This record gives sequence, C-alpha cells and structure tokens, in this order.
Amino acid sequence: MPARAPRGPLAALLDLFSSVWFGVILLAILFVYMTIGSAGVIYPIHPNILHKDAWVHAQMRQWRPFEMTEFEWFHWWPFDLLIGLIAVNMIVTTFRRIPFKVVNYGVWMIHSGIIMMIVGCVIYFGTKVEGDALVQRRMVFAEFLEKQPDGTMKVADRVAFAATPGARAVVGSNGTRYDLEVASIDPNWEMRSEEAKGLTAYSVNVDVRRSGNDVSTNTNFMRQLLAGHPEHTEDVIRSNDPAQPMQRAKKALGTPLVDESIRMSLDYAPQPWFYLRPELEKCWALYIRKPGESTWTERPIEGLPLYNDYVGSRDQVFTASGRELAPSPLDIAIAPVEGDPFPDLTFRASGFLRYAIDRAQYRAGAPTGPLNPVIQLALSSGADAPPISMQLEALDPRANKGQGDLIGFYYVDSEAAFAKRAAAPSIRVRVPALGVDVREDLANLPLGDPNAPFIAVQKPAADGSATGDQTGYAYRIIAVQDDILLSTGTASVAIVEVKTPQGTFRRWVFDDARLTRDATDELMKDPHAAQAVSDASIEIEYQPGLGSTPIAVIAGPDPQRLRLATLMGKGAPTVRDLTIGEAVTFPAGFSIGVANYLPRAVRDVRPFVVPMEQRDRDAGVQLAQMRLDVPGGDPVWLPFHQYVFDSALEVPRRHTFRPKLLTLADGRQVEVIFGRQRLKLPSDIALEEFVLDAHIGGFTGEQSTIRDYTSLVRFRDASSDAWSEPVRVSVNKPVEHGGLSYFQAQWDPPDQPRDANDRGSLGLNYTVLGVGNRHGVWTMLIGTCIACIGMGYAFYVKPLIKRRRRDEVMASLAGAAKEGA
Amino acid sequence: MNAFRYGLISALQAIVVFVAIACCASTVRADEAPSFSERVDLEPLGTIAVYGEGRLKSLGSHANSMMQFVTGPRKIAGQDSLFTYIDLMLRPEAYVDADLVYVKNRSVREAIARELERLAAADPTLAPDMAERMNAFRATGLTSPRFLHNAALEPLFSKLEADVIRTARPVSEIRSALAVAEPGFLLGKLMIVPPASKSTDDQWHSVGELMLVPGATTPPAALTRLVPSNGGMDPTAGIPGIDSALQGQIADAWRAFVNAWLAQDADGVRTASASLATLLPKVAEGSDLYPEQSRLAWESWYFHMDQLTSIWLVYMLSVVFLLLGLIYRWTWARRLGVGVFVVAFGLQTFALLLRWYISDRWPNSNMFEAVTTAAWFGGCAAMAIELFVRRTPMKSLFFLGSAAASMVALMTAHFLPVYLNPNISNMMPVLHDVWLYIHTNVIIFSYVLIFMAAVSAFCYLAWRMVGGTAAYARVGGAGMLVLEPGSKRARAGEAPSIGEVLDGVTMVLMELSFVLLWAGIVMGAIWADHSWGRPWGWDPKEVFALNTFVVFALLVHVRLKVVDKGLWTAILALGGAAVMLFNWIVINFVITGLHSYA
Repeated sequence: MPARAPRGPLAALLDLFSSVWFGVILLAILFVYMTIGSAGVIYPIHPNILHKDAWVHAQMRQWRPFEMTEFEWFHWWPFDLLIGLIAVNMIVTTFRRIPFKVVNYGVWMIHSGIIMMIVGCVIYFGTKVEGDALVQRRMVFAEFLEKQPDGTMKVADRVAFAATPGARAVVGSNGTRYDLEVASIDPNWEMRSEEAKGLTAYSVNVDVRRSGNDVSTNTNFMRQLLAGHPEHTEDVIRSNDPAQPMQRAKKALGTPLVDESIRMSLDYAPQPWFYLRPELEKCWALYIRKPGESTWTERPIEGLPLYNDYVGSRDQVFTASGRELAPSPLDIAIAPVEGDPFPDLTFRASGFLRYAIDRAQYRAGAPTGPLNPVIQLALSSGADAPPISMQLEALDPRANKGQGDLIGFYYVDSEAAFAKRAAAPSIRVRVPALGVDVREDLANLPLGDPNAPFIAVQKPAADGSATGDQTGYAYRIIAVQDDILLSTGTASVAIVEVKTPQGTFRRWVFDDARLTRDATDELMKDPHAAQAVSDASIEIEYQPGLGSTPIAVIAGPDPQRLRLATLMGKGAPTVRDLTIGEAVTFPAGFSIGVANYLPRAVRDVRPFVVPMEQRDRDAGVQLAQMRLDVPGGDPVWLPFHQYVFDSALEVPRRHTFRPKLLTLADGRQVEVIFGRQRLKLPSDIALEEFVLDAHIGGFTGEQSTIRDYTSLVRFRDASSDAWSEPVRVSVNKPVEHGGLSYFQAQWDPPDQPRDANDRGSLGLNYTVLGVGNRHGVWTMLIGTCIACIGMGYAFYVKPLIKRRRRDEVMASLAGAAKEGA
Repeated sequence: MNAFRYGLISALQAIVVFVAIACCASTVRADEAPSFSERVDLEPLGTIAVYGEGRLKSLGSHANSMMQFVTGPRKIAGQDSLFTYIDLMLRPEAYVDADLVYVKNRSVREAIARELERLAAADPTLAPDMAERMNAFRATGLTSPRFLHNAALEPLFSKLEADVIRTARPVSEIRSALAVAEPGFLLGKLMIVPPASKSTDDQWHSVGELMLVPGATTPPAALTRLVPSNGGMDPTAGIPGIDSALQGQIADAWRAFVNAWLAQDADGVRTASASLATLLPKVAEGSDLYPEQSRLAWESWYFHMDQLTSIWLVYMLSVVFLLLGLIYRWTWARRLGVGVFVVAFGLQTFALLLRWYISDRWPNSNMFEAVTTAAWFGGCAAMAIELFVRRTPMKSLFFLGSAAASMVALMTAHFLPVYLNPNISNMMPVLHDVWLYIHTNVIIFSYVLIFMAAVSAFCYLAWRMVGGTAAYARVGGAGMLVLEPGSKRARAGEAPSIGEVLDGVTMVLMELSFVLLWAGIVMGAIWADHSWGRPWGWDPKEVFALNTFVVFALLVHVRLKVVDKGLWTAILALGGAAVMLFNWIVINFVITGLHSYA
C-alpha cells in the first residue's frame, strides 16, 4: 500500500471547509446563537428545578457585559464570523464536492443564492441608517405691528409657535403685550362662508389677550386661522347673548378682525432632521449650545449603555426599598466635534439610568434653616387593612392635600391665623346702613343649588338677634371653591347671588377681600378695574376655615407644634394636639397617625429608579437619564429627549423640552440636551395634511376603527426653495425620495387635557415618518429567489431527470438485450 | 410491536369513552322543567345588525365578543352568550352574587381568593360559604361582581397594578369586566339603530336612545334606570332625522321585548324580537347600509355553534380508524378513516367558507384564523398528495397527518378561546395589504406541513421504540414517488417496511415545507421592506421562522452523512416542529415583537 503523501495546512483547511459535518456544526451553532439572541436564556435560580418559580428568563444580550440590541447582537463579530465561515464552507464544498452537472444545478442554485443573499446582507446592514422624523402640520406665525409716527404700521415683534392645543407664546413691545394660546384645533373644520361651503380645512383657534399700559385697549378674543385659506382669518368675541355666547366679529362689529395690530398666519413646519432609532443601534448624543443661540451642536456619545442602570454611588439616585443599586460608575468622554461652540470642553458621562423619574424627597434641614413643614401621614381604614402612606407639604398649595381633599396640612404663623383656619367655613353679611351684621356657617346653608331659596337678611334687634323684619336684601350660595391656585398664591371663593332693593347680581366673594368683585358685564370687562363692587351697600366676607378638608393637620405658630382639627357635620371643629407616632382613630374605624414631621424640610430631587416590574414595556428609552459631569460644576442628570427642538415654542403634544443650563468654573454657560443622534434629510419635509381612514361608522376614538393613516407630505427642492406637490405616505405604501424611504410610523391621536392648565386635543397635528435607506435589497431578493428555485429544482426536477436517465438506460439495456437475443 | 399495539388500543378506548361521555352530557338534564333560558328562542334576534368597533355584526356575534370581556371563555349556567348579555342588562339583580366575572391569571386569582377568605374570616356575613366559593373560583376562574366590587379589595388591586409586567393587566381586565357588566354599558353598546344619514361614515345609535320615545305603549318603570343620560338632552326626543313614527314603532317593539323578558315570557320575546328584526332595517331603507339578513343569520348561527370547532371530534374519529388501518393493515379501517376524513374536511371547508362569507375576508388575520386555516391547508395538501400516492404504500398516511393536525388545531380553538380569540374584528391598518394573503398563507401552509411531518416522524419513532429496524426511504421525498416505481425492488415486488414508508412520508412533507417556509420567509421580507422599512429586523418571530428553516437545513445535511437516516430524520423533524410551535406559541404570547398581532 503506497504511503499517503503528507498534506499541507492549506489542504487540511480546504478539507475542513469542504466537510459537510463542519457545515452541520456551523448551522447548529448558528441555531443556538440566534435562539439566545432572540428568545434569551432560561436558567434555574433554585436547586429545586421542578418548581416553576425556580426558573428565570433573561435576555442575555441585554446583560451588562453586552448591552446589545437585537440588531447589534446580530452584527457582533462572532455572528459575522459565523456567517463568514458558513459562506466559505458552502463555497468550498460546492466547488470541491458537488460537480457542476445537470442533476446538481439545484444545489448549486441553493448555495449560490444563499451566498448572494449574504452579500446583499453585508451591503444592506453595512450601510443601514434608520430613524424617524416628526413633522408638525403647521406653525402659527404672529407679528405685532406698531404704528409709526408717519402713520404706517411696522412689524415690531414676531414669534412662531407650534399649532398644538395649549401652545403659548408672547409677542409685543413698548408696553403692549399679546398673550397667545392655541385654544383648539379642528383638523376637519367645515367652512361656512358661501364661496367655501362644503369644504373642510385645518382650523387653529388662538386665544388672544391683549394687555398694555392703556387699559382701555385691553381685550380678549379668539382668532381663527384656516390652513390654506388666509383670506378667511377672522376673530370671534364674547357676546351678551346667552344663546350665542361667542359671535363672529364680522357679525358683531362689522369687521372680521378685532385688532389689526396683531397679524397671524399658519405656515408649514419644515423638518430638516431625522433621528436614529436606539432600538436598532445605540445612538446617544449630547446637544450643546451657548445660551441665546438657536441651533444645537451634536456630540455623539459612544459606549453609553442601553438596558442597565449605572451609578457612581448609591446616593446619586432614589430607589425602591430593597432595590439599592450597586455602584457601577461610567467614565465616557464626550469630546468636542468640528464646529463645536466649546472646542476646549470635554464632558464625561458618569451614570446612566434606563427608566427613572425625578422624585423629590425631604430631609431635615438645619435648625435655623428656612421653614418648610412637611409631614408623613399613615392612614388606615381598619385594623386589618394595610396602611396608606401620604406626604403633604404645608407651603405648597398643590401638595398640601390628600385623599381627594379629605385631609389637609397647613401652617399658621399666629394663634389668630390658627383660629381662622381651625374654624367652620362661614359667610358674614353686613348691611352697614341698616346695622345688619350676621354670620352663618356654610354647613347650615344649601350649597351649589342655583334654585335654592334666597336667605333673607333680617334687621337685628338691640341684642343682635334677628327680628324677622325684612330689609329687602337676600342671598344664596351658588358655589364654593377653596384653595384655587393663583399666580400669587391661593384663594378661596364663594359665589353668592345677592338680591337687593335695586336688583339681583352675583358676587364672587374671596377670602382675600381685595379680590372680591361683582359679576356684572361692566365689571367683568376689566379685571384690574379699581372699582370691583357694583353695590357697596352690602358687604360679604367669606371665611373658608377648614374649607373642603374636614380633617386638617395644622402646624405653627411654634414650628414644632402640630394640631389636628376635624370637622364632622355641623358646629365648630374639634381640635387636639398631635405627636409623632401617635394615631388618632375616628368613629368609623379610620385612623390617622404622624409617621414623620420635618418643620424645616429640605427638598432633595433625584432620579428615582423605577423597579423593573413597574416599567411600562412600551416606554422604550423615553425615561432614560444620563449623568453628566461638568468641568468645574456640579454633575447633573439629563433626561432623554426623543426629539431635540430648538425652543419650547416648537414642542408638540406628548413631547418635552427640558434643556439644562450649566455654569462652568470659568463662569461660561452652556445649554445641554441629552437625546439621540440625528442626520440631515436630503430635503426638508412638511406635512400638508394627515388623513385618518376609518372603517364603517367613522373613527370613534377606538384604535380598532382605524383603517389607514395617511400623511400628505411635501419635499422642499433645495435649489428652487419650492415645495413639491403633496405625496401620500400611508401604511404599507412608503415613498422614496432622495435615496431614502419614508414610511408611516406614528400619529397624533386625540386626547384629553392632562391637567387643569391643559387643553384637550382632537389630534392629527403631526405625523411621525420612519426614514431609512435600503441598499442591497435587490441583491438579497435575487439571491433568495435563486435559492428558492434551486430548492424546487433539487427536490422536484432532479428526480425526474434521474428517472428519465434511468429509463433511458433501462431502455438501452433492454434494446441491447433484445439485440443480443 | 405488541406493546405498541396494546398501548394504542388503550388510548383508543379512552378516546371512545371520552366521546361517549361528551355525547351523553347534553342529555343529563332532559327530565328537568326547562328554564327561561332554554325556552326562549333567540333566533329572530340573529338577523339584527349591531355596530361595534368599526364593524357591523350579528347580535349573537356582538354578544359573544362583549361577554368574553366578562365571562372569558366560560358560559354562565350553560346559557348562550346572547342570553347572558340581555339578561345581565335587563335583570342585573339576578347576577349580583353570581359567579360571572372571569379572572384568567392564576396568581391574581389566588391572591384575590386569599384576600376574600381573609375578609370573610373577619366578617362572615360577606359570604358564609366563602371557602367553598373560593375553591370553585380557583378552579373555574369565575367569581361574583359583588366580591370584586368590595372596597376592601382595592389595596390588593393597587398593589397588583403596581407590577405592570405581571399583574397590572389582569387587574385592568377585571376592572374592564366589571365596567362591561354594567347594564348601562351593555345598553349603550347595543347600537342597533342605523344612522339617519344612512352613511357608512356615521355611527349607529344605541336602542337606549329610543327607550322613552313616544309610541303606542308607555315605557315601563323598570326601564327608567336604563335610560342613558344622553348628554342632558330630552330622552323622549329620539334620534334626529329618523322618521318619528318609525322610531315610535321601534321603541314599542323594544319596550315589548323588555317587558316580555322581565316577565320571562318566551313567546312575547319571540314576537318582539321578530318586530325589531323587521323594523330596524327600515331605518336604512333605500341604502345598502344594513347588512344582508341571511349573512347576519349565518353569523349568529356560526357563533352559536362555537365556530364549528367541534369538528375536531370527527377528525379524531378519522385518526382512530387511520391508525388502526396503519397498525393492523385493516383495509376497512383505513377506508373508513379516509371516508371520515373526507367528511371532516368537508365540514371544515364549510366552516372556513362560512367565516370568509361572514367576515368578508379570507380568514387569516388572527391566531384563531391562522390556526384553523393552516389546518385546512393541511387537509388540502393531504387531498392533493394522496392523489399522487394512491397506488403506493404511503397512501392514507397524509390523511393521518392532516387529521391529527386538524384535530389538534380545532381542539385548541375549541378549548382555549382565551388564546385563540374566535371573534371577528377589523384588521390593523398594517394588515391591509395583499402580502397578508401571500406571505401569511404560505407560512402557515408550511407550518401545517411541518406538523404533519412531525406526526409521521412521531409514528416512525414509536415504531422504532417497539422494535422497528433502522429503516429509511432509499430515495427520500418526492424522489420516492418518481423513482421508486421503477426501482429494482419495486420490480421484484418487494414491499417496504412501515419504517421506510413513514420515513418517506416525513421526507415528502419536509421537502415541501422546506421550500414553502423559505418562500414564506422571503415573501415576509418583501412585505416588511415596504411596510416597516426593512426586510429583516431580527424580530423574534422572524428569527424563529429562520431557526425552523435552519433545523430543516440541518436535517437535509445530517441525512446525507449519518447511517441511521430514518432515526435522525424523525428526531430533527420533531425538533423542527417544536421550534415552529415555539414560534407560534411562546413568541406570540410571551415574547412580544413587531409581529405581536400575528
């Protein structure tokens, strides 16, 4: 037997790569890799592996050493290597072991198709950029026109702000000020004028409040702007007609505009950027600018994690009990970029939180520190019921009540103030001319009933008691509202309908008598008028006492002293001293106790790391925060911004704009925002219209009634600075422009007001378009199709060829046998 | 071999006993006096259309979908969903303490049961038999609204709601169930009056809006509690734009219906239902807004018949006979099995066509439809392949695979409606695309073939376990059909063993599913490219479809190299099916992704 010639390493390598078993092993590894990356891993955390709670599921790629998205996991070097090996294995095996014959065309096609697909993938994923762009439908442009000495009007100030319900802006100069607020938007306003009847338009109603040195020109009206129809801009004013409280200025005054000094219009809100998607690949960025500048400079942040929390020390954040974070600081340089406004300044990221919300906690301040009483109450509805903890802040009217105004916490600076606060709500009516001075507890009066009988004001006897003699004065309480938030503090008001010999009117009686005023048409016009009461013959005072809170904990005047005042039913409140740790039980079994009390509390705001089980899966990175070390300054936590707007005036609904102003050691200031990287669009994009197609019955507010979303967008031609004709982008129907594809991604749904200062929205004010490139798609597609044809060939054509050949051989054998015979 | 046969016979006996019990169960109460729910005939209501969530559906279908929010998959006292809907709306007092609300999540169920038991221990008046009722609750998931409305449960609910990953959703479902069970809500959702405009863009009206409209009869006092607030409008004003005389007639018919229901007058209910069914379409007369009454009647019947998912019993019978035919080579059993299969497939085809007719779209847009339609594709494939193999030893085995697949699919749909929601609803916008029909159908077709291949692979492994030799089909897959007939062995008249035949069946199905799965993945990529902006996003569903393909790629290559080809083919075919099922079950219900609606 001849000795086998020694084989070189290249031949051994070729043998390895032409081995089917090697391919099988690679495929098996690929299977495991993909399973781990996509579904994660399950592992036991308890020796009793038969118990269902002994097993835990985790996404390994999200663990601290990896911090990878699916996209990153599947483009990590081990995966690239694996795919490379598989490709080489297929190529070598095909060339070395599969003869290029008709019967093998199928396998050749499968293998070459898959190789081609891999090449397409390399091109595609190697060049992939994907993000999204928020495009608002319109901006409101407002200009204040000032009269010049020569009688002409000149633009003295201008402002542009988002056409989104609740958006506010101010414009004006030289003592004249217009407060503008988008009161409402109707995406499908039915036009009423004769020439436009039957048409609908995007309508924006702006509440305009003019104030200035000359109070006689102060006014308030609503201006309606219609997109695409500036000629139909008109004002709406209040009228005295109860059947039509708002009237068109054109009808009431004969002119469509109340005030020609304020000019408003709607125009597109061009979007020049699209923002990369962190779900695909980490793309964090810090945006910086000098205060007063309007544009941001983007600094990419490389190496910032995505899924886990990193803090330098435990005291940097608040955590839930038992969920303290182990210190794990980051040190990531955020270096200047070309054209940077601070080329000498390198920031450092020292912490990251995936899901945190700012939370204030209080700690005891210095004994001489400013007064800020904060109390921690423990409430219980029964012996077996778990206690409810509540924190109240006496000096913050938005945080001094709890349990739906059942419990209040107040501070008084004198015993007189205490007596006033720990009293039953009452009303005092005086008619000085008749010597009438009566006080009545509100508990004895019908409240809130506009049809309640009037309470006659009677003449007093010498001893002060009512005589029963009628004075011609009577009153009834229409409504009571306590602790209304004002810009200057809080106020309580009783709306009292007053009947006098001269007539009937309503008086808004505030606990602060300076605010009391009559609700007559004349007096309501000017909120700052010197005379607020039309009939001074009757004087009314409102003392809210405990107001709407039947249970009140009152601190002061000694800051350490706490008293509990309770008012159950009629009569005077019950007052008793309260000590920390003591629980007071009420007859119904309800108890209240003071768990902690800090008279000079210091507010400490830090991110609160939300426990994993309380995190909304859909929130993504919306609540992420990054800790930024500032050279020469204090570190700050920066909240994540989905989009980086240039100013607060541009912010649409459901989005935030919270830049932080940092002061450096040398006194320079820098404004920063933490967000995601963005790229310039090939051309600006504007939203002409957003159309919601609904199923039968129209859109009812339920997602299930929507059939399709369509954005009609325009692209700006940079060379001519002209907008293109509207192009429809809808679900499953993307549009290609400038080498990028635009997809319908999100929309602006209708929603309710979020708080007392907000306004509801009918939605459809913006769209979010997915934006991405797709190089190599055709290579991939052709490759997969070749592979598919190859499979059909190998499985179904090859047997037919073999059978035909066999039949031919059999026939020739039979023929030969016949000839032989 | 004998052990295999005895085991199989025992399993078949158990199945027969189970079927017999299931058939007899409905006759147990035959001697009792029929209750109102049994006497009342709801059929005339079946032709009334209801508007809900952008669809016009039959009253039966509407009741089914609404009651699912309350009672989950359970039926209350064996009543039809439509009966429970109306009864709960008109006689809520009868349900105050009834076990009505379904709590799906078992840990939440347990937490509520414990808390209620604790409360009952402190206050026995809450329910003297609380322990018993809570045991029933733990078993069925149904409990009383009275318990769930108990304010003392609020702290528990608040605590559970804080865990948004595990328990917030079940608590939200409980709150939804309690809200839906309110009579006013049920009445508000009874939107059976077409809009005056007769336009498809306008919403329908609740019959409650006509409750107090003047007519020939005066409204009963019992109705006033159901009168909707109507935004402060005059409740006797009715619906603007609709002929007032017609409104009066509808109001009369509705009031008669309510009165008859409250009086438990089955005849009165039938008469009033028929009047309503006649009058309501008149509001939309002159337009094609009101759906065809025949369609509505079929829809009601379809849901009344539990979407015909009971066909699984027929498939099971087919499986039994086909297995007998396979094991004992009994021709009569095999033929009977084929006959029963054809009947079952016919019934399933009817159910599928009916659903297509009712929903006005090919049924493949939710899990119920995907599973049942996939099973039907399996039947089609079996019929087609059997034509080619009718003269080979493989005959009837594709019927066996398909019957098993359909049986499992329909059983799942029948017994797990919580997971496979049978209700017909509008498709999400992204699904309105021709690729839904191309990509989804090709993928589910490949999936059912994978399952069928797993059936033959399982039979092969069972055969090997009871002593079968390491046999395999010499020419695998379609080649077997093409090349085997002229082979030496065929010419010699040598019959292949069961193992060879089963391996051959596995390979035929595997090859077909291999090509279809690849094609389906590619088609999905094409759809994703123009829908989501990228052909491949490493979404879990995509990855596991590819993983399934990788397993079959492994099978093809391992089969080339190993000696015991049949064994490895069977193992990897089962592995591929396991990955496919993982993709359909775990990925869909546990790991959410872009395909979470699929």
